Amino acid sequence: MSIRFQLLIIALTTLVLPWAGCQYARELETTLRVSQENSLQAAAATIANALSAQPQRVFRDVEDREAFNANQGDLYAFSLHNQPLLDGYREDWDLAVGPKALPTAGTLGARLQAGFTERYLFIYLEVDDPTFNPEPSDVHPEQDRFDRVNLTLQRPEGALESYFFATGAPGLIEAQSVVKSDDGIDHAALEPRIQAFWLQMSRGYHLEVRIPRSLMGPRLWVEAIDGAGGGKAGFMGAETLRGGRVFLTTPGLNELLATFIGPGTRATVIDTNGLKLGLAGSLTLNKEDDQREAGGTWYRRFVAGDTSHWPLQVSAPDHIEGQSVAGALAGHRSAEWLRADPSQASLLSAAAPLLVGGQTLGAVVLEQAGDQLLELRDRALIHLFNLTLLATALAVAIAFGVATWISVRIGRLRLAADTAVTNDGRIRLDMPESDRADEIGALSRGFERLLARLNEHTQYLRTLGGKLSHELRTPLTIVRSSLDNLESEGVRADQRGYVTRAREGVLRLQSILSALGAASRVEESIKQAERVNFDLNDLLQSAVAGYRDGFRAARIEIDAPPDACFMHGAPDLIVQMLDKLVENAVDFCTASGTITVRLTRALSNYELAVSNDGPPIPPGMLNRLFESLFEHRQGVDDKPHFGLGLYIVRLIAEFHGGAVLAANRSDGDGAIFTAILPLI
Amino acid sequence: MRKQIAIVEDEPALRENYAAALARQGYQIKTYGNRRSAMQAFDTHLPDLAIIDISLEDEAEGGFDLCRDLRALSAEIPIIFLTARDSELDAVSGLRLGADDFLTKDVSLPHLAARVAALFRRIDALRRPDNAAQVVRRGALSIDGEKMQATWNGAPVVLSLTEFWIVHALARNPGHVKNRQQLMDAANVVLDDNTITSHVKRVRRKFQQIDSAFDAIQTVYGMGYRWVE
Repeated sequence: MSIRFQLLIIALTTLVLPWAGCQYARELETTLRVSQENSLQAAAATIANALSAQPQRVFRDVEDREAFNANQGDLYAFSLHNQPLLDGYREDWDLAVGPKALPTAGTLGARLQAGFTERYLFIYLEVDDPTFNPEPSDVHPEQDRFDRVNLTLQRPEGALESYFFATGAPGLIEAQSVVKSDDGIDHAALEPRIQAFWLQMSRGYHLEVRIPRSLMGPRLWVEAIDGAGGGKAGFMGAETLRGGRVFLTTPGLNELLATFIGPGTRATVIDTNGLKLGLAGSLTLNKEDDQREAGGTWYRRFVAGDTSHWPLQVSAPDHIEGQSVAGALAGHRSAEWLRADPSQASLLSAAAPLLVGGQTLGAVVLEQAGDQLLELRDRALIHLFNLTLLATALAVAIAFGVATWISVRIGRLRLAADTAVTNDGRIRLDMPESDRADEIGALSRGFERLLARLNEHTQYLRTLGGKLSHELRTPLTIVRSSLDNLESEGVRADQRGYVTRAREGVLRLQSILSALGAASRVEESIKQAERVNFDLNDLLQSAVAGYRDGFRAARIEIDAPPDACFMHGAPDLIVQMLDKLVENAVDFCTASGTITVRLTRALSNYELAVSNDGPPIPPGMLNRLFESLFEHRQGVDDKPHFGLGLYIVRLIAEFHGGAVLAANRSDGDGAIFTAILPLI
Repeated sequence: MRKQIAIVEDEPALRENYAAALARQGYQIKTYGNRRSAMQAFDTHLPDLAIIDISLEDEAEGGFDLCRDLRALSAEIPIIFLTARDSELDAVSGLRLGADDFLTKDVSLPHLAARVAALFRRIDALRRPDNAAQVVRRGALSIDGEKMQATWNGAPVVLSLTEFWIVHALARNPGHVKNRQQLMDAANVVLDDNTITSHVKRVRRKFQQIDSAFDAIQTVYGMGYRWVE
């Protein structure tokens, strides 16, 4: 794993910052939720206390402690936002709930719903009566069989008043009451203040009734009667004053409530059945995804608490349910988080009991969008997130940059270390980065010291030959001059063999020393070499003639241009170079092989190639052949080899500004050494 | 009277070997291990010939100083330098200290004896009247084999004994290629090829100092040298 990658991973650990930010944001959210719960509960309790001081402004009848009971005919009147048209349709009531079925005697089915505006109470009745029995023109309510709807009102002063609705022609009608006329006969009298619309349908009829609230007391009973004798549906408890209570928002309560709450909060006053008595304010619920920037939701994915377990808000127009409501009705403050029904937006509901005379008569329910919190949290979080992400990105970028810088430097150092020992065996002592104060600089300096040591060692080895040949010379001279003396003194014939052998040994030693010192002598003569213009071709011809003389066993051929090849250089050195190349070729040439000395002229240089038949050079050695003290001969012959011959060749070629190359012949049966010598 | 030879050599074994070999030839030998003792002796009595090592004990070039001092005492005494290193040959010849020959210690004792004898012969010849028979002329060159002197266009060329013998060997048979071995034999030395090359180079240079157009010694690469007229 590269340093760059390692540091990148280390830098990525700064991602813990955004994670910590998320944790913090979650805690923040929890804290905010709790405080919102508390404050909303407190607000609910305040409102409840204020309201319980004036129960008459809350409850229809403070004394009436009896719970709402729909089965007894208690009727909840919805608060209508708009004045409906009296047309037999309830679509313009704009209510989410449908009418409730009335208890029936017989087969007649009927459904009832009530609503009110500021001035009117509206009653809507659906009756499943396909056959329309019209009201006769001269009606006798006690005898005539016709479809009708009875309505009994308790007047504000307590008196009961009965009306009925019937018609001969469906349409806009008025309520009729049965009055005894002066003649003592019951007859129907119109009550024009109570109007209705009779809409006859194929399955039955709809009746939409409008009653001025000034005519109304606390109770009201409705009963539909099938004129064909199909039966009755509805409640008629007027005789016993049982049921029939109309529950509707206490007048003025909405306004009163509105004074308590701020925007974005909805306050509802309910009675013990959860029926809404008063309502003020409205919720501004945000839809989850629409109104928020995409980034916000993206962040929320990571951090938002799971709200899916929250109960759905039960939002019926007439009542409220839920834990908070149940808790408040049980007598204590409570709060609950809900999800709004279609939008899933979070919603806080807090409820406080409405205590009158130590008895819970209802509750104040405050609802508030929880999304404000989310917004708050999101804003903080997005800031935090952006900052920490920025910090992380910065840290990663810096780490990456530093790592790149370091690895580039190390790479440079590695490259320098790889190439510190050049192909020709020289050692480059200067390493990059060595002037830096840090560890890489120290490493580089370590390398430099190591290379310097190696260089000293190499230098020592290189000069060892010359030194040895010099130092051994004196003792050798002593031996040889002693032998000379010995021979001059006269040696006995039986001792002559020893002397001869000693002399041979001395000669061999001398040739070894000579070979050892060859390189330093060449270096010496290179220092003093003079350059002249000479004919390389001529030199070659005469030198090869000499080699043919010297190496009689070898077949030496020459391949050179016919004309003169002038160059500027030291001919003696060129001859020495050629000597070494030819000696080398002779050593490796097969017994019957040929050595070819070839001179070719290129644009700016001569190529002097000596090739021989023989074994190819192992590929790994090709580059090292020209190093000082490199010897790859494996066989043993009578001459000492110190790996200096080809080194001398290189020295001479380089002195002339040229180079020398070793290669195997393309036919694989020999080696070829080429010296490239510039013309000038 | 026996000729007296002074050997100044700091290596005792070599010193004794040289002394023994030359004593066998009938010379009287005095040996010295360093420059001071040698110079003290020379101040009181000059030898007939001096063989001087270049590096003497702690003086790397003490032989040069000794040679100079000795030459100041006598212009005629033959002096042979012995060196341990080939490279010193160049330094010696460059210094022109008035030595008659320069040898590496590789020289064999018979060869040393031969050139000592030759130098004495030359001293004798110089004292005798000219013997024209010994003079060989090759164009501008004339070489006196007895006095071991060469002139070019009448001007004397100052050659060491080894150099003289090389010129002599080449000029005696103009046009003939003498290989290095033949030159070594003629010069009574055993040298490696490089040293022969540098000897020849020095000879050329000495001639060229007199006549910059000198071109009589030709290199036959791979074979040797020849004298051309």
